[in-house]
Amino acid sequence: MPKLTLDDLAKIREKTKRLTTIRVGGEYRAKVCVHMGTCGIAAGARTIMNALMKELEEREIHDVLLTNSGCAGLCSREPMATVEVAGQAPVKYVDLTEKKIKEIFEKHVLGGKIVQEYALGIGSEKTDY
Amino acid sequence: MAEMAKEKAYRIHLMVCAGTGCVSNNAFGIKAALEREVKKQGLENEVLIVTTGCNGFCERGPLLVVQPGSIFYQQLTEKDIPHLVEEHFLKGRPVKKLMYTPPKEKTPVPVLSDIDFFKKQVLIALRNRGLIDPEKIDEYIARDGYKAVAKALTEMAPEQVITEIANSGLRGRGGAGFPTGLKWQMVRNAPASNGSLKYLICNGDEGDPGAFMDRSILEADPHSVIEGMVIGARAVGASEGFVYVRNEYPLAIKRMNIAIEQARDYGLLGNNILGTGFDFDIKIVRGAGAFVCGEETALIASVEGRLGEPRTRPPYPAQSGLWEKPTLINNVETWANVPIIIDRGAKWYASIGTLTSKGTKVFSLVGKINNTGLVEVPMGIALREIIYDIGGGIPGGKEFKAVQTGGPSGGCIPKEQLDLPIDYESLTAAGSMMGSGGMVVMDEDTCMVDVARYFLTFTKDESCGKCTPCREGTKAMLDIITRITEGKGTEEDLTLLEDMAHAVKDSSLCGLGKTAPNPVLTTLRYFRNEYEAHIRDRKCPAHVCRQLNVYTIDENRCLTVGKGCDLCRRNCASDAIRGAKNEAHRIVQEKCIKCGVCYDVCNFGAVKVD
Amino acid sequence: MVNLTIDGKKVQIEEGKTILQAAAKCEIKIPTLCYHPVVEAYGACRVCMVEVTVRGKTDLVTACNTKVQEGLDVQTGSERVLKARRLNVEMLMARAPAAEPVQELAKALGIEKTRFEIKDPQEKCILCGLCVRACETIVGASAISFIERGTERKVMPPFGEPSEACIGCTACAYFCPTGAITYEDKYGRKVIHTELHLGPTTAIRVPIRQAVPMVPLIDTEACIHFKTGECKVCTKVCDREAINHDMQDETLEVEVGTIILASGFKPFDAKRIPAYGYGHFPNVITALEFERLVNASGPTGGKIKLADGTEPKAVGIIHCVGSRDENYNEYCSRVCCMYSLKFAHLIKEKTSADVYDFYIDMRCFGKGYEEFYHRLLHEGTKFIRGRVSDITDMAMTQREEGKLIIRVEDTLLGTVRRIPVDMVILATGLEPSIDHNQLAKIFNISCSQDTFFLERHPKLAPVSTFSDGIYLAGACQAPRDIPDTVAQAGGAAAEALALADKGTFALEPVTAEIDEDLCAGCQLCVNLCPFTAITYDKEKGISVVNDALCKGCGTCVAACPSGASHQKHFRDSQIFAEIEGIFVV
Repeated sequence: MPKLTLDDLAKIREKTKRLTTIRVGGEYRAKVCVHMGTCGIAAGARTIMNALMKELEEREIHDVLLTNSGCAGLCSREPMATVEVAGQAPVKYVDLTEKKIKEIFEKHVLGGKIVQEYALGIGSEKTDY
Repeated sequence: MAEMAKEKAYRIHLMVCAGTGCVSNNAFGIKAALEREVKKQGLENEVLIVTTGCNGFCERGPLLVVQPGSIFYQQLTEKDIPHLVEEHFLKGRPVKKLMYTPPKEKTPVPVLSDIDFFKKQVLIALRNRGLIDPEKIDEYIARDGYKAVAKALTEMAPEQVITEIANSGLRGRGGAGFPTGLKWQMVRNAPASNGSLKYLICNGDEGDPGAFMDRSILEADPHSVIEGMVIGARAVGASEGFVYVRNEYPLAIKRMNIAIEQARDYGLLGNNILGTGFDFDIKIVRGAGAFVCGEETALIASVEGRLGEPRTRPPYPAQSGLWEKPTLINNVETWANVPIIIDRGAKWYASIGTLTSKGTKVFSLVGKINNTGLVEVPMGIALREIIYDIGGGIPGGKEFKAVQTGGPSGGCIPKEQLDLPIDYESLTAAGSMMGSGGMVVMDEDTCMVDVARYFLTFTKDESCGKCTPCREGTKAMLDIITRITEGKGTEEDLTLLEDMAHAVKDSSLCGLGKTAPNPVLTTLRYFRNEYEAHIRDRKCPAHVCRQLNVYTIDENRCLTVGKGCDLCRRNCASDAIRGAKNEAHRIVQEKCIKCGVCYDVCNFGAVKVD
Repeated sequence: MVNLTIDGKKVQIEEGKTILQAAAKCEIKIPTLCYHPVVEAYGACRVCMVEVTVRGKTDLVTACNTKVQEGLDVQTGSERVLKARRLNVEMLMARAPAAEPVQELAKALGIEKTRFEIKDPQEKCILCGLCVRACETIVGASAISFIERGTERKVMPPFGEPSEACIGCTACAYFCPTGAITYEDKYGRKVIHTELHLGPTTAIRVPIRQAVPMVPLIDTEACIHFKTGECKVCTKVCDREAINHDMQDETLEVEVGTIILASGFKPFDAKRIPAYGYGHFPNVITALEFERLVNASGPTGGKIKLADGTEPKAVGIIHCVGSRDENYNEYCSRVCCMYSLKFAHLIKEKTSADVYDFYIDMRCFGKGYEEFYHRLLHEGTKFIRGRVSDITDMAMTQREEGKLIIRVEDTLLGTVRRIPVDMVILATGLEPSIDHNQLAKIFNISCSQDTFFLERHPKLAPVSTFSDGIYLAGACQAPRDIPDTVAQAGGAAAEALALADKGTFALEPVTAEIDEDLCAGCQLCVNLCPFTAITYDKEKGISVVNDALCKGCGTCVAACPSGASHQKHFRDSQIFAEIEGIFVV
């Protein structure tokens, strides 16, 4: 028996590829940006980020890009997050909790349906790069 | 295969450059600081720190590339790290002051691919640089690694593999540019005398001063070399391979060892590779630091444990090499090109480059240039593009004078030929050569006679001493050039030098001697006036050859601007300066030993050199 | 066969040959320095460079290791060739100004003086590597190699220390074309006196010049091939392919009718008499060694020399070494007196040395011998009657300083004398040859008390033995000089021929026979038979008598416990019948 078959090799490739997609770019189904300015962190952005990380990990999802950004300027409504499903306009969610973000993840990120009740509006601020 | 471990995903990957250049600039200190800070901010489950091979932009090390987004941070220090981690990774605000700002510009360029240095590069041999941890085989596999081996072993006949390589137009990247496919065919066709043993060698004895292409590949992507060798072994029917790396490359040796171990663990080396029944294994042989061992017959002698000196070819190693068996010997970069050619096809590869020179070439860009580093460019690119677009031009607003390609045995190409396309034939026609890819840029402050002297000193020291012309000739030529730089040269010396250069080139045994006169011949060809200035006028136009310099003090300036600071007199080693504080100083020429210290120490530009 | 052109001359030569060999074939000389026909070509000196054109491509190559190709056009003296060659020779002149072959080559190329810097005017080494290659590929010792690089390159044993790998064959010096390697023979002449094949010499040689047939042999103890398995240079230079290193000793079986034993003698081993210091003092030598020394084809060309190469001023010859001595051999060796006289004569003839002969009795019997003794007395040889007690180098007077002192009781003067000499020749006696006892066993012949072969009868059958058809000649029977040996050999040959000529052989009628039915196979008779006439037949389990060997001595008959052995014509019944007959009368 060989130590490694062609199938094994393909399996390793697929798995590691998923884990390292973010290095080379590629097809993302969605991008989630948690706003993590001082205000955001104070309001609990960490829990939101952690919840999202957990979701990705448990579901073994690798084609969702999870990023963070600075203060979005709407400090009173923190924690906030922007969800951008590929091909669609970004949606900003405000006053998030762990429960809310889980729901958003399932319905919007995976399901593609905007969760209207938590959303602030459609669109996002521009960055300079 | 064991059950795969639970996948752990991170949202940020920090690609810390751990090439030799960055490592010597404290890359591991940066890495430790990153780990510390990431932990402190509680990000250890979100941020993955990866050490990669050389990124190429060595001038700006230590380097860090943040993924996703390819944000390029450079010239980091440990004290930058806490701020960086907090701002960028925690709060999502990239730190502009740590980004790269091109010279003469004000706004930083945050994304790697937007930086001029990287923009024009085409990465084939260096395809995985900065993207994988070279010590993790899985990451190489993820980059379609070992896909070509699978293809070559299961879907292609050995002849097909050779045809594919031949059709790709790949030529030896070690310098001479021998068509790789033809070489493979020769080894495959070579009748294996007594037994069917054939050997494979990877030549990693990179000895050119200022060249580090092979080191970089071995450090950044050792598996690409291993994969290339397995494919080559299959194609020619070899069962054992050797990677010859110079002992001065400890990191490359370490990473190669790890890579070989991992490949063995996965059964990608050893017996019955991928269940195809094909056996092949690789050993590392460490070179003991002789430049001549980069020559294939000398290298083979060295692997065999004999004195590293070349022998006459034919027979070529393809016919009778290691232990007199047919041996396929290719350079590191050549091997690294093989898997991607098999994977993506000869047609794709042949579409890059010029008519006779296909694909890309890695150059190490050094000398008087802004962006020192490792670049991979398509064949046929103009020298000007490499030096000005990628290299960012000459520092300090100085003027470009020449570029020396092909290592110590290459030649100097002058300004007039800046639009020369880089390929094997053009470089040879210009009197230089591709070599293994060293590129030393020289500016107006460089004396070309001194350059020839420098490279001759190197080849003289590195000549193995076997054949007369190389051993005695390099020494004799060096004596003449030294004489010229000391202002003792005559017109006859110039004729003798030229005659000798031709004779040494003509009658030396191996490539070292045959090319050693190249720096002399090209500088004579393009910069003869400088030689003549040294001989006729006893002047070094670039003021490099100190024995020819005349140092004087502008007494007026000394007194009025410098107020007779007396610094020069106190520093003069030969007590040749007369004067006292608040007085104008002057140099007694008879006593001056032309050390140049007065010129260097004068803060008021009062010391003149002529 | 490959066709090529050299300097316009057409040459045909076997494939695989080099341009240099092809040039030699059409008598075009290409200069070489690092080339030697028996060492693998190296291509380092680059003076054999020639310009070759093949398939429209012209290049400079080394003639010594470039193989010929069909249609090759070679120029050995083109402008380009000469330019490169001259420069290389000129540079070698600077490297090794004292190397004669380089000087000669330079002269031939019209170079008078080198333009390059001379480092050491005494330097001879041109770094051609012949010594290194010879040591590695021919000797197989690899005791020397190049160290350092470039102009610093030099030939050295590892770490510049005397190498254990060196077998002292001096092949490096032999192959050195410029004489840069010299060697010092530390043991000097001492070697000459300790062995019979007196060195220094080569591994292949004709052992003795007067040998017939004059065929050289390989001394396996000195031959490099038998030490390291390499070399075999001799096979490369021998056109007749006459050298075979795989030859082994073999046993030949020859059927003959008669045998003459002439196994000769061995000289008495002088080391058995420690008092004479043989083996300790280099200038104490045996008669045979002196014989070799004085021989015109010997190592010194016949000159009589001491171990340090000087001529002796006084020589002592000691008679009866190992002969006429109760401690060693009681017999007189018969030849020593006469050869000692000959030595004395030769020493007198070739040197001006004083010669002392120490004798017990002068035994110069026979025609002309006594006369020779008288001549010696007139020549001034000093004869001292007395047995030498010992030889010492402990001087008691200034005259004895640095000399060998022979202590002897002069029985004619009745005093003990000390005679200082430079060289002592021990007139060693004769002893039966080394495997004498074994031979006696094989041929079933007897030895006398002095261990020489015993003849059948000292007066009536001096060349015969107790075994029919086996004869003796020469010193194997008794100490004997050459004339006696030749005479006896003639007699033995005549006896042997007489028997062979007759073609038939009358067997002894009275022989033993063994009754197969009675023999128990105890093999008692086999061991008892003095003529090895009885053998044991394993298949039948009985002893069998060979009629041709049996002499009818009756030993077996008397000894046979089962009464199976009978003597033909002398059976028990016959003997009893005879006895009865006597009583009847």
